[in-house]
Amino acid sequence: MENNVFTGEYKRRKRKDIVFRLAILVPTGIVVSLLILILAQVVMNGSKSLNLDFFFQQQKPFGEVGGGVVQAIVGTIMVLVVAIVIALPVSLLAALYLYEHKGSKRANVLLDVVSTLQGIPSIVIGVVIYIWVVVPLKTFSAFAGGIALSIVMLPLMISMIKESLDMVPSSYLEAALALGVPRWRAVVEIIVPAAASGILEATGLGIARAAGETAPLIFTSFGNPFLSLNFMAPVSALPLVIYEYVKSPYDDWHQKAWGAALLLVLFVLSLNLLIGTRKKR
Amino acid sequence: MKRNAVSKSLMLLTLFVLGLTSALGAQTLLGSGATFPAPAYTKMFDEYYKLTGVKVNYQAIGSSGGLKNIQDRVVDFGGTDSFIKDADFSKYPGQVVHIPTVIGAIVVTYNLPGSLKLRLTGDVVADIYLGKITKWNDKAITELNPGVKLPNLAIMPVYRSDGSGTTFNFTAYLSAVSAEWKSKVGNANSVSWPVGQGAAQNAGVAGVVKQTPGTIGYVELAYANQNNMAVAVIKNSSGNWIEPSLASTSAAAAGAFPADTRIVLVNTDAKEGYPISSLTWLVVYREQNYGNRSREQAEQLVKLLWWMIHDGQQYVTALDYAPLPAPAVKASEAIIKSITYNGQALIK
Repeated sequence: MENNVFTGEYKRRKRKDIVFRLAILVPTGIVVSLLILILAQVVMNGSKSLNLDFFFQQQKPFGEVGGGVVQAIVGTIMVLVVAIVIALPVSLLAALYLYEHKGSKRANVLLDVVSTLQGIPSIVIGVVIYIWVVVPLKTFSAFAGGIALSIVMLPLMISMIKESLDMVPSSYLEAALALGVPRWRAVVEIIVPAAASGILEATGLGIARAAGETAPLIFTSFGNPFLSLNFMAPVSALPLVIYEYVKSPYDDWHQKAWGAALLLVLFVLSLNLLIGTRKKR
Repeated sequence: MKRNAVSKSLMLLTLFVLGLTSALGAQTLLGSGATFPAPAYTKMFDEYYKLTGVKVNYQAIGSSGGLKNIQDRVVDFGGTDSFIKDADFSKYPGQVVHIPTVIGAIVVTYNLPGSLKLRLTGDVVADIYLGKITKWNDKAITELNPGVKLPNLAIMPVYRSDGSGTTFNFTAYLSAVSAEWKSKVGNANSVSWPVGQGAAQNAGVAGVVKQTPGTIGYVELAYANQNNMAVAVIKNSSGNWIEPSLASTSAAAAGAFPADTRIVLVNTDAKEGYPISSLTWLVVYREQNYGNRSREQAEQLVKLLWWMIHDGQQYVTALDYAPLPAPAVKASEAIIKSITYNGQALIK
């Protein structure tokens, strides 16, 4: 009798265990298979369009078959360079402020501002930069696109850099101060270098985050069927090309959109992997 | 050591950027707007680049977008296929002029199983877009198409979601042939559609129709032909069934041209004219010295405009656009000659 009750209880627990295990495993499986399925789809559709022309030719007129997306590859690199040149120093300085004034009222306000900034839809950032930068300068440009992307990057980079600064043991700072090093030098020469790998990681993820953004570029870098190396003129970008080509009725452009998607995914993925392997070391 | 290297490479990068910026600045022109002529424009500009080395970047964002960009003076020229109304000229910070470039046909395209060739009247198209005709085998359509086996399939009208000159001309035509359309929906770059689904730009509408059975849409002829899409034959005001083509579009534009070239071509009286034909224009400022524009930039622009209405015309017929008729070319020449920099004409 007693034995029976015990085994009944045991079975019930066992069942519960299986149910919960499944409840956790199934969503995990969904997430993992989602990533694999997306990658497989992009690779299957995109790999066909990767050839020499794809990498080295400019866009053809509407409806003509052939050409490539060199203008978008170069354009994406250009807007990302502008974005990171702006976002890295700004986010480093903001993170240093947060590090130095932990818990102060202003630091808390800044933290709130950063998280609010993160919530602003990127299309809004694009429109605002159109009014702030494009209209006064009287031209769409890679420069304007880079500014818009830097705003997209900032919140992520600030919070990541702040975290990596916080992770440097406080004894480093104390030791430096005890040796009579001025505080600013201790921060610049001890804390920041100690957090260097975290800062690099933040930069990588910032780039990865911004590389796929379409909305901030529509009203800023604008697009260009020609290869342009002028930072003060409109340039194309991979997400813009994908957006334009997918909507078009042309089969060749659909094909090229998949190719551009594959390129973008490979770029972001390799950035992530690079950061991941660095982190482990 | 490290920081030195970083600052050095940053300086080099800056120099590189500045160098490129000054070297490449003058060899480009920027335009945006109408998607209706985009296949013709991108073809022309490709040829123009091979010929002159000047890169003309045309972004097909829709007529309303192009006009907004020229209003903000962030482009060298705007493209539109609905000309600026007299009352709207005051919205522009300077006097603008219209230069017509090509004539195109707005075709009614559809996606039905089998390659069915349909005949449609403006009335029936209006009733479809009003939501009064909802099935492809509706009596109104079968009566016009004896012998064509139409499926019992729901009609999904597709319209432009962005501000569009193509929409302007399409709704101008529907307003001209259907009193109900005129009173209920009207005629503008964007209207509130009673039924259907939106898509951005000519390319977007063509894309949706091409991929979705049962849909009907309106796009420039080039988009339909480039993608082997079915195109309806439309009855014109003389009672003739007209296939949209280079010839029937030219016929619609054969009449007189006003000096400022601002004219709506829909519902033409021409016996062999296609009833939903339209001109499309580039809009530029008459006085080119504004913002920080150089004289060189203004000269580049005027040269391009001149080339487009003359030599550039040879590239449009292959894409089924009609070249400008002689009176329109003449009127455009006078307009281009009136463009100035500091009050001086740029071309004689």
